[in-house]
Amino acid sequence: MVPPQLVESPGLRLFWRLPLVTAIFAGVWLASVRGHAAEQAISFINDVVPTLTKAGCNVGVCHDKAGGGQNGFQLSLLGFEAFEDFEHLRFEDRGRRLFSGAPENSLLLRKASGQAPHGGGVRLPPNSSGYATLANWIRQGANYDDKNAPSLAAFELEPKRGTIPRNGTQQLSARATYSDGTVRDVTDLALYESNDRSMAEVSDRGLVQVLELTGKVAVMVRYQGRVAVYSAAIPLGAPVENLPSPRNFIDEHVFASLKETGIPPSALSDDATFLRRVTLDITGRLPTELETTKFLAATRADKRDGVIDELLQSQDYADFFANKWTALLKNRRDDASDIVSNFAFHSWVRDSLLANKKYDQLVRELLAATGTVIGNPPVAWYKRVKEPKQQLEDVAQLFLGVRMQCAQCHHHPFERWSQDDYYSLAAFFSQVGRKPSATRGEDMIFHKRGIAVANNVKTGQPLRPAALGDAIPPIAAGEDPRLRLADWMSSKTNPFFAKALVNRYWKHFFQRGLIEPEDDIRDTNPPTNPELLAALEKHFIESGFDLKELVRVITRSYSYQLSAQPNGDNLADRQSYSRFYPRRLQAEVLLDAIDKLAGTQTEFPNLPPGTRAIALPDNSYNRASAFLRVFGRPEGESVCECERVQSSSLAQSLHLINSGEMRSKLASPTGRAERLAKEDRPVDAKIAELYLAAFSREPRADELRHARDYLADPRVDAAGKPLDPQQSAREGYQDLIWALINTKEFLFNH
Amino acid sequence: MPIFVRESQPGFRPVVPVLLVAAAFLASVWFAPSTSLAQSVGLPTPRLLTTIPMGGPQGSHVDITISGENLDGADELLFSDRRISATRKLDSLGKPVPNQYTVNIAADCPVGLYEAHLMTRLGISSSRVFSVGTLPEVTQTQPNTSLATAKELQVNSVCNAVVTVRAADHYVFEARKGQRIAVDCASRGIDSKLEAVLVIADATGRDLLVERRMGAIDFAVPEDGRYVIKVHELTYQGGPAYYYRLTLRELPPDVPLVRHPSTNGVSSYSWPPVGLAAKPATFEREPNNDRAAAQKISLPCELAGSFFPADDSDIFEFEAKKGEEWWVEIASERLGLPTDPSAFVEVVTGSGAEEKVTEVVEFTDIPSPVKVSSNGYAYDGPPYNAGSPDFLGKLVIPQDGVYRLHLTDLFGGTRNDPRNVYRLVIRKAQPDFAVVAWPLHMELRNGDRAALSKPLALRRGATVAMEVVAFRRDGFDGDIDLVMEGLPEGVSAQGLKIPAGKNRGLLLVSASATAVRSVAFASITAKGKVQGEPVSHPCRVATVAWPIPDSWGEIPAPRLSADVPVSVGGIDTAPITIAPSAGRVIEAKVGEKLTIAYTQTRRSEFSGASAPLRPVGAGFESAPTLEVPLTADGSQVVIDLAALKLPPGDHQLAFVGYAVAKYRHEPEQIDLAKLAQQQAEKDVANLAEEAKRLAGDAAALEALAVKQKAAAAALAATNEQFKRATETAQPRDIVDILVTEPISVRIQPTESK
Repeated sequence: MVPPQLVESPGLRLFWRLPLVTAIFAGVWLASVRGHAAEQAISFINDVVPTLTKAGCNVGVCHDKAGGGQNGFQLSLLGFEAFEDFEHLRFEDRGRRLFSGAPENSLLLRKASGQAPHGGGVRLPPNSSGYATLANWIRQGANYDDKNAPSLAAFELEPKRGTIPRNGTQQLSARATYSDGTVRDVTDLALYESNDRSMAEVSDRGLVQVLELTGKVAVMVRYQGRVAVYSAAIPLGAPVENLPSPRNFIDEHVFASLKETGIPPSALSDDATFLRRVTLDITGRLPTELETTKFLAATRADKRDGVIDELLQSQDYADFFANKWTALLKNRRDDASDIVSNFAFHSWVRDSLLANKKYDQLVRELLAATGTVIGNPPVAWYKRVKEPKQQLEDVAQLFLGVRMQCAQCHHHPFERWSQDDYYSLAAFFSQVGRKPSATRGEDMIFHKRGIAVANNVKTGQPLRPAALGDAIPPIAAGEDPRLRLADWMSSKTNPFFAKALVNRYWKHFFQRGLIEPEDDIRDTNPPTNPELLAALEKHFIESGFDLKELVRVITRSYSYQLSAQPNGDNLADRQSYSRFYPRRLQAEVLLDAIDKLAGTQTEFPNLPPGTRAIALPDNSYNRASAFLRVFGRPEGESVCECERVQSSSLAQSLHLINSGEMRSKLASPTGRAERLAKEDRPVDAKIAELYLAAFSREPRADELRHARDYLADPRVDAAGKPLDPQQSAREGYQDLIWALINTKEFLFNH
Repeated sequence: MPIFVRESQPGFRPVVPVLLVAAAFLASVWFAPSTSLAQSVGLPTPRLLTTIPMGGPQGSHVDITISGENLDGADELLFSDRRISATRKLDSLGKPVPNQYTVNIAADCPVGLYEAHLMTRLGISSSRVFSVGTLPEVTQTQPNTSLATAKELQVNSVCNAVVTVRAADHYVFEARKGQRIAVDCASRGIDSKLEAVLVIADATGRDLLVERRMGAIDFAVPEDGRYVIKVHELTYQGGPAYYYRLTLRELPPDVPLVRHPSTNGVSSYSWPPVGLAAKPATFEREPNNDRAAAQKISLPCELAGSFFPADDSDIFEFEAKKGEEWWVEIASERLGLPTDPSAFVEVVTGSGAEEKVTEVVEFTDIPSPVKVSSNGYAYDGPPYNAGSPDFLGKLVIPQDGVYRLHLTDLFGGTRNDPRNVYRLVIRKAQPDFAVVAWPLHMELRNGDRAALSKPLALRRGATVAMEVVAFRRDGFDGDIDLVMEGLPEGVSAQGLKIPAGKNRGLLLVSASATAVRSVAFASITAKGKVQGEPVSHPCRVATVAWPIPDSWGEIPAPRLSADVPVSVGGIDTAPITIAPSAGRVIEAKVGEKLTIAYTQTRRSEFSGASAPLRPVGAGFESAPTLEVPLTADGSQVVIDLAALKLPPGDHQLAFVGYAVAKYRHEPEQIDLAKLAQQQAEKDVANLAEEAKRLAGDAAALEALAVKQKAAAAALAATNEQFKRATETAQPRDIVDILVTEPISVRIQPTESK
């Protein structure tokens, strides 16, 4: 924005109309200005604002606080609205904030230096350079920059990337280049932030201190709305030798990264571990005993590829990934009458995945949905996400990995997105028409003919649709702008769409996204392996946005099939994928797995007996299931995967160890324990069955011995009387199943 | 407070009276005695709800089992086509088996949908769809909710079934590689509540193809083998109301998949315009999506096209002269398709790079002629939408030149279905009309949704009202008279015309107090004058497939009926008859005050002292209310013809309101049960006497003991029957519509002096 001239300011117009006393003050002021004419001129935009920003004055918890700032003094976030800041400083509070005759008596400096009570404490000590900058600016007349004043043209960081040994340091240097060609060292004025403080810290002066952890770390550096990133590799430095031949491009990039960081990968997982892992990851269930037995016995070299293909063909794949997507798409039941739309929407997602509908088409059908819920189920999304702002924010975060929420009210602090970008994106949804349907609370959705436009609420400027900085050709009144948005998203050159998806799916299989969080893709949050991310993106686009192919290429890689067992060097690795990172089974998957092992079935209201937890269509079943709540099944309130709670808790442990639900499953008269107790088979075979069901492997010799001994132990009742053999066997198997459930090997995908 | 839905009229609505009425209503609900909460809506009405199976092939005899509400005394099962008939099934003793019939479908009965009605004690029932096809049919008889219990189906057959709650029905069939098998599940289109999900799976039950939008699956068999079909309800509901007909048919390649026939939606009554050819004259030619590729047509024009592929835009270019008026009408939704056509017309000036376009007019939905219920709960209008997402509008040509019509489907942005076709007509004005009727409904808090499907089953002495709504085409603005013919003996009908400029009228059907039990298939005709020439059109009747006790969770499913049966039950009587004391024709002179006396014949007690009845009939809208005392035999109303400014001529008038009757259901059953009870007591006593007489004869006593046991059981049964009949006949508060018999006010001009 071109800074307005001083005389154009409405505030100044008011100023000139002040009474005589003001004129006297002005005279003193002007005299003061003349007296310091020989000094270097201080720029409000280029000097004062960065000083305030560095001192932390203009952040949300201080004077950028919503609703008038702090104690009546308002500044814009990080100085993005410099002229507004100037007006607040200069003209509000009866002009007390600045006093050019004696700058040190200005309220601004007295508070900032702690000489007057200040809730924010001392931000600029009197001997600091920042204090001097502000004092000089006041002394020089506290003017706004002339429209011809130099403006920031470029912001650069040195170095941009590098390698730092563990516990090493690196000083960063920040440089600003202005429109008049001048260059300034702004290292002290820039803001620094590490993306992983467990790996590296960074001082106010740009000194990066690397800690013990190895891998990739980034430091975001901000200055006057510009951002730069320093990426560092922190190598372990161990020899990386005898890597297997890459199975595909994923291995090439992962292995290259491991070589760069000197982290040797773990060995390839064994067949049993692989089968359990890949079955859980693709279908959300444990392998059956039959599947396990067949797979372990198979000798074909490509049997792992074969099982991946089989899993991808199964309806379980569709059920499991529909469970993931419907939660993110807020398939939430707020009212009993939502049931039809929720079932229809869930089914649409599930059937689309089963048919391997291409991802761009899936998103297109959702974004540009029209009609009735029954006739076109993606319309249900518009039942839950009603406002254009919600729609653009959800679409941006979910499908583009861009969080636009900040830009609704102000320029995005970490990104290039402005309010114009926000409302230009909202304009795509401005022509969503609604007609009432016969169903209460449910609208028919159609394209409301008209030119799509949305107003920037701050400037009042009407904005035509534009997609995150990309201009969109004019959209005629009869064209549905959402279709044009879908066109833009599915373009092969779109920098967000495919990247966001592959990163999301990578995280599904590797626990950690190449970018974290997975839906916060921005220049200042670089991927840990940019080459791999680019290659995945390319592969996905070239496959025609084929989701099954993406899953296939990921799971076929050695990188995915590495063991979770650390070697001597990679225990601390959390981001280089040198081994498989174990993760606790999701709530629904765990409940199904327990049912499978216990030989029981959790009943869900009004659904067919046998319906698995991963096939539940919406969140309403959480209410009746303490298990699902305790283990963090999401309620479909957010497009963020973080709504699913994957952390551990005492309640989870207690639930598994001693809940009524678990007891009833173990003691079910139709359960596995009861069956095993009754069956006339060798005990070893029964124990083997349990291990196959729980861990997809045979018991080791010591495990077999312990289990056999435990089952053979005589049991007594509470009165000390021996139990009859049948009862004793039943309890023995119940205990054994209970013990298996409460192992990490069972609770984790590893 | 207006009781009945009125034609929506724009303009000022007084706020205070509405608030006062609302407050009064709330107060009445709050302070109402608890008995009023138990009040039910609508006198008992016979409803035929299911027939199993739901159809049969041409030239066959099909045994069916029926179920429904208030079907006591059922005898004849009648169909909308005389080529289908039914006889009662008899047991081995020659006695009718309850609820079972044998349906005879003549060989010349065309394939399609028909409607079945049952003549009951209360008269003719509501209808249920009955399908006639060509393929052999089977009926599901055993649970088939798993792979292990899957029912074997032959290709080229139909299975009639009821979906199981919380389960999927399983079927298995054999097919060969390369075969094309159409799997079609008819449900909503044959009055079922089933939102069907159709799955084709492999022999192990693994899903291959899924169809959840009430469509059919066109299955290209990938390899020889057995395949599984699964059918379930979208939300896993089930039970008798969730029935379906599953058709499995082999199709040759390149033949379009023709779906099982479906009932027609209410909106279809207004299509086609008179004289439209069955087949279109021309067809849309793609590509015509861009202005440069616009398809050239000349007016008038009639063509067919398709909203295909997704985001299709069909552009037609024509020349027209200044001042010309063209009517543009499209049918797509009215053809039963899930579309929402929209169009705009632009005038083109200049050419090439100099071309400029200016929009002239936009065409959107056909609005309902009367306000439709705004959602599934609050009753603020009838649940029948006589409008359509199709459009009909006038194009006035502003200048000589080239014009383009851009046509799109507002629901078609992402949909790729060539079956979404349309018929487009651009014509000079051909004024005309179409009408549709449905039973009048009450505007109560929850409406009378539980009584939505109302057959014309008249009680003796009853007058019932039907609401008739007009669709006016191409500016037609004349009166529309309503006539009902073919009524049973003792039944008369009077139409209250749809006056010029209005869209709503009433049709009153009355049964005399002495009418005998009978049924007839009647017809309703709407008559008007177009450019001075008389024109008449049949009036279709709309109904709702199911009564809906829970209107929060379920929405009505209206459709057009195939026929209009009218009956008199001959046993039950109306709680009250309100008849004009001086006959049905009253003569008066222009401008005089007219006193109309009514005589009430009460056959029931009522809650409340009186019922306010509002006037209905063109010209009488602002006449005073008729206060009908519910404990007296007469009432009257004074009508100031001068204030109403009614011209000379015949004017029809009636009064409509509602009252809460203390209705007794089947009271005659008490006497019948009493007689049976007395006979049983007599039998027991006689056998006891017989036992005394046979004292000492052990063998005879042993034989008698068997008879005594049977007699005691019979007595217990009659006691139970008597108890049940007494309970059933207990007076219950039921609110229902009250309609006076209509009168014709014949106004003579004043004599000039």
